[in-house]
Amino acid sequence: MKLLFNRVFDGADEMYAIAEKTLNETVAELGESAPINMPNTGYFLANHYSYLGKRVTTMGELKACFPEVKSWMRHEQRLGDAFKSGFGTVMAAEVIEACKYAKSSEPYGDEYHGHLSDAEVRELGVPLVTGDIPGFVVIIGPAPSDEEAVELIKGYQSRAIFVFLIGGIIDQAKRMNLSMGFPVRVVAVGPEIWCAAHIISFVNRAAMIFGAVQPGDHEAYDHYTFHRIRAFVNAFDPVADIVVACGGGAIAMGFPVITNDTKDMWPVPKSLIIQEDTKNFIETSLEARDIKIKVTKIDIPLAFSAAFEGEIVRRNDTWVDIDGSRMDCFEWVRTLEAHEVEDHSIELIGPDIDSVEPGSRMALSYVLEVAGKNMQSDFEPVIERKFHNFLNCVEGVMHTGQRDIIRMRVSKTAYEAGFRARHIGEVLYAKVKSDFESVVDKCQVKIYTVPEQLKALRAEATKAYDARDARLLSLTDESVGVFYNCILCQSFSPAHVCVVTPERLGLCGAVSWLDAKATNELDPNGPCQVVTKERVVDENIGIWEDVNEAVNQASHGSLQQVTLYSIMVDPMTSCGCFECICGIEPMTNGVVIVNREHAGMTPLGMTFSEMASMTGGGVQTPGFMGHGKQFISSKKFMKAEGGSARIVWMPAALKELVGAKLNKTASELYGVEDFVSKIADETVAEDVDGLAAFLSEHEHPVLNMEPLM
Amino acid sequence: MPFKRTPQQFAASIKEVTIGTGDKAVTLGGENVFPLYSFDAPISNPPKVGVEFSDTGPDRSVPGIAAFYAGADSLGDVAKRACDMPGADFVSLVLESADPNGDDMPIEECVALCREVAEAVSLPLVIQGSKNVEKDAKLFEKVAEALQGKNVLLMSAREDNHKAIAVAAVMAYGQKIGAESSVDINLAKQLNVLVSQLGIGGENVVMNLGTAAAGYGFEYVASTMDRVRGAALAQNDNMLQMPAITPVAGDAWSVKESVAPEEDFPEWGPAEQRGVSMEISTAASVLAAGANAVILRHPDSVAAVSKLVSELM
Amino acid sequence: MALKGLDIFKLTPKTNCKECGIPTCMAFAMKVAQGALPIEKCPHMSADALATLGEATAPPMKSVTIGAGDAAYKLGGETVLFRHDKAFISQNLYAVNITPQNADEAIPELLKIDYERISERMYVELINVAYGGDKAAFLETVKKALAAGRTLILEVGDPAAAREALELAKDQKPLLNGANPSNYAEMNALATEFGVVLGLSAPDLDGLYDLTAELEKLGNKNLVLDVGASSIKDAFANAVQIRRAALKDSDRTFGYPSLVNAAKLAPGDLNMQTALASLFTLKYGSIIVMEKMGYAQALPLYGLRQNIYTDPQKPMRVEPGIYPLNGADENALCATTVDFALTYFIVSGEIERSGIPVNLLISDAGGYSVLTAWAAGKLSASSISRFFKETAVDDKIKNRVLIIPGKVAVLKGEIEESLPDWKIVVAPNEAMGIVKFLKDMAS
Repeated sequence: MKLLFNRVFDGADEMYAIAEKTLNETVAELGESAPINMPNTGYFLANHYSYLGKRVTTMGELKACFPEVKSWMRHEQRLGDAFKSGFGTVMAAEVIEACKYAKSSEPYGDEYHGHLSDAEVRELGVPLVTGDIPGFVVIIGPAPSDEEAVELIKGYQSRAIFVFLIGGIIDQAKRMNLSMGFPVRVVAVGPEIWCAAHIISFVNRAAMIFGAVQPGDHEAYDHYTFHRIRAFVNAFDPVADIVVACGGGAIAMGFPVITNDTKDMWPVPKSLIIQEDTKNFIETSLEARDIKIKVTKIDIPLAFSAAFEGEIVRRNDTWVDIDGSRMDCFEWVRTLEAHEVEDHSIELIGPDIDSVEPGSRMALSYVLEVAGKNMQSDFEPVIERKFHNFLNCVEGVMHTGQRDIIRMRVSKTAYEAGFRARHIGEVLYAKVKSDFESVVDKCQVKIYTVPEQLKALRAEATKAYDARDARLLSLTDESVGVFYNCILCQSFSPAHVCVVTPERLGLCGAVSWLDAKATNELDPNGPCQVVTKERVVDENIGIWEDVNEAVNQASHGSLQQVTLYSIMVDPMTSCGCFECICGIEPMTNGVVIVNREHAGMTPLGMTFSEMASMTGGGVQTPGFMGHGKQFISSKKFMKAEGGSARIVWMPAALKELVGAKLNKTASELYGVEDFVSKIADETVAEDVDGLAAFLSEHEHPVLNMEPLM
Repeated sequence: MPFKRTPQQFAASIKEVTIGTGDKAVTLGGENVFPLYSFDAPISNPPKVGVEFSDTGPDRSVPGIAAFYAGADSLGDVAKRACDMPGADFVSLVLESADPNGDDMPIEECVALCREVAEAVSLPLVIQGSKNVEKDAKLFEKVAEALQGKNVLLMSAREDNHKAIAVAAVMAYGQKIGAESSVDINLAKQLNVLVSQLGIGGENVVMNLGTAAAGYGFEYVASTMDRVRGAALAQNDNMLQMPAITPVAGDAWSVKESVAPEEDFPEWGPAEQRGVSMEISTAASVLAAGANAVILRHPDSVAAVSKLVSELM
Repeated sequence: MALKGLDIFKLTPKTNCKECGIPTCMAFAMKVAQGALPIEKCPHMSADALATLGEATAPPMKSVTIGAGDAAYKLGGETVLFRHDKAFISQNLYAVNITPQNADEAIPELLKIDYERISERMYVELINVAYGGDKAAFLETVKKALAAGRTLILEVGDPAAAREALELAKDQKPLLNGANPSNYAEMNALATEFGVVLGLSAPDLDGLYDLTAELEKLGNKNLVLDVGASSIKDAFANAVQIRRAALKDSDRTFGYPSLVNAAKLAPGDLNMQTALASLFTLKYGSIIVMEKMGYAQALPLYGLRQNIYTDPQKPMRVEPGIYPLNGADENALCATTVDFALTYFIVSGEIERSGIPVNLLISDAGGYSVLTAWAAGKLSASSISRFFKETAVDDKIKNRVLIIPGKVAVLKGEIEESLPDWKIVVAPNEAMGIVKFLKDMAS
């Protein structure tokens, strides 16, 4: 039994001894003044240059640095020493390689790649920084078999991961006639473990070129590699101490090591991982280094394009009609733990759509199971709502509805082209992985078609839908930590900013707090930004210093302050897309609400469009405010002025739409039952006199409220 | 009672971006006043005027342009001649042939043309791409590599391809980039934020805030530029403080007013003067709205606009 | 600062008497706040209230009117320095300067500029006649200019000559541009007598400021300020500082429209004058005088002015109808988009570039862009089919292929239902793809 630290220290000593011997022999042979010119680089011996800040150009200078390399290999039982020894090992390895290059500019000929030129660093660095190459792997071999070696390499290649090979695996690849080289993204670096120095040299030069890290600033290299270079190591059994020492360096740089060696191996979470089944190396590795593979194409036999979004599949052209109005058909997104999800697994449970007669109905449901470090159950409905859009883009597929009222038709042409149930899964998998990249790490789809099973599953899904609805109802402005702003409308209303809170959705009616939150998570620089609410000035009328700052910034200075709950004092502005406008009616001390669809006159003496002309454009107009329909029943609706009890008039159609919820709110806030019946509409009053008469007749609560102004 | 002057001199200023090398290098930006308001405070780097030609050569269907480039046959000769145009501060090559929906010239050939031009010019070089995001991403990476040390400005990096272009051009090969967005202050800002998150500082980025010819929705361009300048100076928004460049020529020389032949509209007179006026009018307007550089084609336009700038400084 | 509607409402009698023609006092107050109605429309305002409001609602920049009848133009009345803050209100006017020497050719030349662009008539509104010392020649030129039927600027500082010119032109209410620190008293008397707007100039901005103050003291607030012609730099500095003082620094002395004489700033250099006219169209010239206005100058300048003076809240619209492009006839393909002017220009421009004959069908979509119109319900299968019915497209066009904007691909099925005879094709999302798309379709 040997401790991990001791393996690192022994390995470091071993590397040092080899380096010392090589160095002495080479100095003896070439002399101290012999130059060291690594080919095609302006960064000297890049690892020495990076860690020590020294520009090594001759054998003598290399020798002069050597004691400093030794000083990095302290052997206390401390993590820091193990890491530093790892770096020391890398420098010792570089000494060995430098000696080779001092003797010959092409020590490896065509057999191995060896040193990477600066041009190659830039060429590989650009796609690594941009993410076009999601990461690179260093495989230290040999693998258990030649076949397995090639399978692993090809697995990485197919995921666009760049592959560096060291040791026996190179011979295996050659025996299998695998094509290698920079253009195919598989590079045979060299036969011995000290060739790893070339890879770290590449990493350190990338840090200098792309990260502007200064030579000698060792911590800055660590920081850069940890945050920006998505690399990892696969080391095959047996892993010698000298490899473990190099691995210590890799781990210190933030590159996890995955191995199938179990002897004297001590797993370290996220850093040193034992995966005995080498078939799972790829998935384990990607997860350990947080690498997500981009899905670029959708594997279906039909065209996928927004141009098909409006296509209608008519009854006579229909192969199968998946009809949620008569059968148990539903769609559902749920979040699971990472280990419960196998990425890109698509499972059909039950008969496929080729089991039915053309034109018939069939029950079918699909459950998308996702996992991700940034995934939150609040995003489930946001993802689910996009299904409609995703599936409609498939040529010959029509989708309507959501949750358990979906309806989907697959056309005969689509069926004949080979479209089957599993392709629904392919579409959803590919789109969810790409559109929700930042929150969905893994995703699997289960498609169910057995009626008995569907019944039970539907009950489970309904429970989830209910839980979501309950969660929405339970969200209050007080119960959340932050609000969001939304500046989607600034393209035509430059000064306007919406502040979206759980109890006040965007005035267009389309952006709820959860939507804004999801938008922000998915596109952190996009139109919805976090608005903190820490420095409260007045909670009653809704003033926060941080909200004002956010509004000021997002409106580019046009708007200095807003209140969230008042229409009299600095009311929130409107872009022009508001669903409704409320305006105060001074004679009754109430407010009149009119929705966009209502063309007629209001008791204010203004129509919707007249009110809209002075409320829009990001201008604050005290006494008037644009808002969404669902805001009417919110407990925060003009809370500062007494809340929804102020509503004295609404078009009948709007009363109908929000009535139930508004009655509930009024009952809870004021103990007034059937409040909506006390609100006038166009059928009883279009002027103030008629309105006043109606209110007193129905004992509207506003009659007992304070004057508005 | 004398008139009380209240100059608007801001604490914030536009960042400086230098393109080209040596004593012909030009610096864009640096001012802390609204566009052309040299009466509020001195403007250290007056707006610059660039001369544009395509990789297929200048537009010789316009007599004045043809006359100016007479005898300049190779692209290198054209580039050299462009540098001699009175009023020119820099030149701009448009890689029109690279467009995959057009000639789809292979990247190596484009790079060779860029090399030829870069060798020939004595003024700083601005290279405009094919306007195809995928092609430009690959193209600019290679152009940036080929022109290392020339400090050229590569237009344009857009939201869909900014990563590849910005990383390759600025980080790997030390060039400058133009961040192009389409006439919307928030999109412009978002792109600048994305570029800065790659670790690229404002001294490497020039904004192209979108273009239009006078009469063709130009109010959106003017208001976007007004707002960007307002945010940069009055709000000290450092994600909008990059200098702005506007390639005017492409739009100005493609609208009906500039290209319709005299036969079709006899009362309009010769097309050439119409094109020149459109180019001048659009350029003067974007300068008034905040452009730190404009790109033009016709020698008459270059003369008039550079004279306007020097008169105002 | 403009008063908010509620502040005005508090001063109204709150009786909803409707005598102002508005149903409620609240609605009246809101309209006054917007500047849509003068406060005096209310017959029941108290004197105190009127005084309070008069001061508070007085505009920072006065508006003056030159010309008479159909040729009357309002200048000034601006409230913001940047159009995105609200809108520019009174669009600037272009003038052409004529001389006794060139009047006979120049007047017919400038009258040739007369065309329509997006529902607006484009022409040279003003003729500038400058007094050069020869009174007879000056008056002769004024007569010729009057005959052209355009409003005049009389650029004359000699009171005697001015009087005679005004006698000739008084009914057309010309702008009398000629008051300076040495003649202002007489010129003011003339302007007052003839009821015309007076143009002021001085050697520098301080002189102009003092002069304006003097004129105001004399009770004349019907003024235009000449920014001078000593240099381009000074003219621009003056134009900006005059407008900025009025709108930003609340210095109402400078709250008047301005006049820029580009002809004098760059004599003989029409390209420079075009550049200057553009600059001052954006930055605060109310009247811009040119040496000449041919189509080459007019096409960009009038287009620019039309753009800049568009209310940001009310986008420009083109008339609904069938627009045949590239010589399209009844057999050509059809494509449809919205009536938002910018969309129309971009789409029609790309179609023209493709060279393929297309009938572009523009339906009434509220002047919004494609996605906005669709979101607002102004662009839908029913709005398109209504347009087809009202315009009798089926009778006028034989081709039965209709291309719809890529951004509303979602409408395809519905349009197929409402226009069953038509084959509906979805165009690319961006206008940039139109050329290739049409060429591919045609091949």
